[in-house]
Amino acid sequence: MTAAVTGPPSLRNGLSAARSGALRETCARLAEADDAEFGVRLLGNTPTHEARGPEELERWAEAATAFGTELAARAGPHGGAGRTGARVVERDGGLDALLLARYVSRPVPTVELYTDTLALGEELAGWLGWRTWFAAGALRGAALAHEEAHCLLHGDAALRRALRDRLGHSALRLGRLRIPGHVAGADELAAHAYAAARCGLGRTPLLLTAALASAVRALGED
Amino acid sequence: MGIVILLLMLAGVGLMLARKLPTAFALVLLGVAIAAVSGAPLTGKDSIVDTVLQEGSVTLAATMLAVLIGSWLGKLMEETGIAGTLVRKIVEFGGDRPTVVALGVLAVSALIGTVTGSAPAAMMAGIIGIPAMIAVGVPKTTAAGTILMGIAAGMPFELPVWQFFSTALDLPVDTVRGFMLKLFPFAAAFAVLFVLVESRRRGVAHTWSLTSADERPSGGARRRSRARRLGDAPWYALLAPAVPLVLALGFELAIIPSMLAGVLYALATTTRPREMNKRLLRTLYAAFEVAAPPIALFVAIGILLAAVKLPGAVEALDPLVKAVSPANPFVFVLVFTVLAPLCLYRGPLNVYGLGAGIAGVLISAGIYPATAVLGLTASYNQVFGVADPTSTQTVWAAQYSGVSPQQVMVRTLPYVWCVALGGLCVTAATRL
Ligand SMILES: [Zn+2]
Repeated sequence: MTAAVTGPPSLRNGLSAARSGALRETCARLAEADDAEFGVRLLGNTPTHEARGPEELERWAEAATAFGTELAARAGPHGGAGRTGARVVERDGGLDALLLARYVSRPVPTVELYTDTLALGEELAGWLGWRTWFAAGALRGAALAHEEAHCLLHGDAALRRALRDRLGHSALRLGRLRIPGHVAGADELAAHAYAAARCGLGRTPLLLTAALASAVRALGED
Repeated sequence: MGIVILLLMLAGVGLMLARKLPTAFALVLLGVAIAAVSGAPLTGKDSIVDTVLQEGSVTLAATMLAVLIGSWLGKLMEETGIAGTLVRKIVEFGGDRPTVVALGVLAVSALIGTVTGSAPAAMMAGIIGIPAMIAVGVPKTTAAGTILMGIAAGMPFELPVWQFFSTALDLPVDTVRGFMLKLFPFAAAFAVLFVLVESRRRGVAHTWSLTSADERPSGGARRRSRARRLGDAPWYALLAPAVPLVLALGFELAIIPSMLAGVLYALATTTRPREMNKRLLRTLYAAFEVAAPPIALFVAIGILLAAVKLPGAVEALDPLVKAVSPANPFVFVLVFTVLAPLCLYRGPLNVYGLGAGIAGVLISAGIYPATAVLGLTASYNQVFGVADPTSTQTVWAAQYSGVSPQQVMVRTLPYVWCVALGGLCVTAATRL
C-alpha cells in the first residue's frame, strides 16, 4: 500500500474502468445473497466449524442473529460505546490489516476504529447506491455498536450463557446429562445483528464488509 | 591449540548467525575442522574419516528413528482428525472463557509435544488451535505463546529428546527420565502461569475483520470437504498421543517400542482394517519429509560430538574450559542462568547446535559429571524451544498468528528463563 504517498485509496480515481466495472458486478452479486447466507459464511470461516453441515450452520446463524437483535431491542435507543464505559480510539492502517474495528479489554476497555477503512466503506456505500441500506455515517455507528456488543458479552457471564442456550449445541451428551457447547463465531454474528438493529441498517453489516474486502482487493490490484 | 578450536567454533557460530550456512552443514564442517587442528589422523583409530565421519554420523541413530516415528504418529493424528478433534472439543467446552480455551490448547500442545518434535507439534496443535483461540478472543501474541509454552511443558516428556540426551551424554535412559521428572513441574507451572498472567494482562481482543464474510471457493471448500470426510475422531482415539508416554513413563518400556505402540493405537482406533496398510505407508512416507530437518541436524551433531571427544581435542580444550567453568553450585546457577540467552539466535549454547559440542567438551574433559551437563542442556532446551526467534516452531507460530517472532520471544522469555533457573537449581542441588 502506498496510501501515505498518494493519499487514501479512492474508488473514483484509484480504479481502471474495467476494474471498477468488475467491482460493481461483484458487489451486485454479493447484494443478491440474503443476510442469512452471510451469517452462514461467517460461521463457516470460523475455525472449528470445518466439518459442519450447512443446515447446522444455518440454524446457529439464525439463532445468533435473533439473539443480537433482541439484545439491541432490550438495550433501548440510548447508548453507544460510552454506555459500556469503553474508550474510543481512532486509528489508521485498517486497510493494510483488513480490519474495520477492534475491541480490546486491557489495559482499559477500548474500541479502536480504523478510520481509513470506515472512509472507504462510506465511499463504497454511496458509490454502489446502497445508501438506503447504509445511511451516511451509519458504518461508524455500526462499528461502535458492534464492539459495544462484544463489551456487553465480555462483561456478563449470564448473557453469554443465554446466547449459548439459545444456540442449543451440546459438547457432550451422556444419557440425560447434557453439557452445552460453545459455538465459535456466534458472538461475532450476534454483535453484527446488534449493530444492524441499533443503527437501523437495511442489510447485515457483513454485506458491506464483504463488499469492502472486494474493494480493497480491487484497489490493491491497480 | 585450544584457542584455535574456540576460534573455529566462533567462526561456525558466525556462519550460522549470518545464515551463510545451514546449521547442519556448519556443524559438520566444524567437526572436521576441529578434528584436523587437534591432530587427528585421516584414517584409523581416532581419525577424521573413520571416527568422526563414519562413527559420528550414526551415533544418534536411535534418536533419528525416534524422531521419525514421532513424526509418523503426528502425521497419523493429523490425517485421522485426532489433533483437530482435540482442539474442537476444547473450544466447545470452554469457548466463552478465553482463558479456559487457552489452558486447554496448552494441554493439547503439551500432549502432542511429548510424541513429536517441537516444529511439527507446533503446526499440529497450532493449525487449528491458533485461529480457534483468536476466534474466542485470545490476543495474537498470547495465542502463539500458548502453543509454544505448551510444547515446552511437554518437552521434558518428549521421548525422542530422552533418546537424544541418553545417547549424546552417554547416560542411561533412567537417569534422563529421573531428571526430566524434576524439570517437568517447572515447565508446567510456568506454562500455566504464562496463560493466566498474560490473559489477565492482555485481556481479550475481538476484531471486525474484512475477510470474515468471504466466500472461499477453492481452498475453503476443499478443506471443508476433507474435514467432513474425516469427521470427528472417536473419544478413545484422542488418547493416542498419551499412549507412548504411559508406556515409557509408567511401564518403563523402551522408547522406540513405546512410540510404535502409539502409532498402532492411533491406527486401530480410527481406521478400517482394509485401509490400514495404505494409511500406514502414506503417513510413514510423509513423516520422512517432516523429520528430515531434525534428522539432518542429528547426523551433524553426532559428527561434532565425535570430534570434540577426540583425545587431541579434549587435551587442547581441557585447561581452557576448566578455567572458566564454575565449580561452586551457587556460581554455577548464577553464571549459567545469566548465559541462558546465548542459546537463542543459533547462539553458541544452542543444544541443537554448537551447544551439543560444548556439552561434549564439558563431559569428556571431566569438568562436570554427565548428569550435571544433562541438567544444564535440558534447562537450556526449555528456553531455546520456546523463545528462539530463529527456530522453526517459533517462527511458524508467530507468523501464523500474525505477529513477529521477536514479539513472541519478548513475551515468553521471562517465563522460560525462570524454567531454566529452576532446572539449574535442581541440577546444582542434586548433581554437583
Ligand atoms: Zn466482532
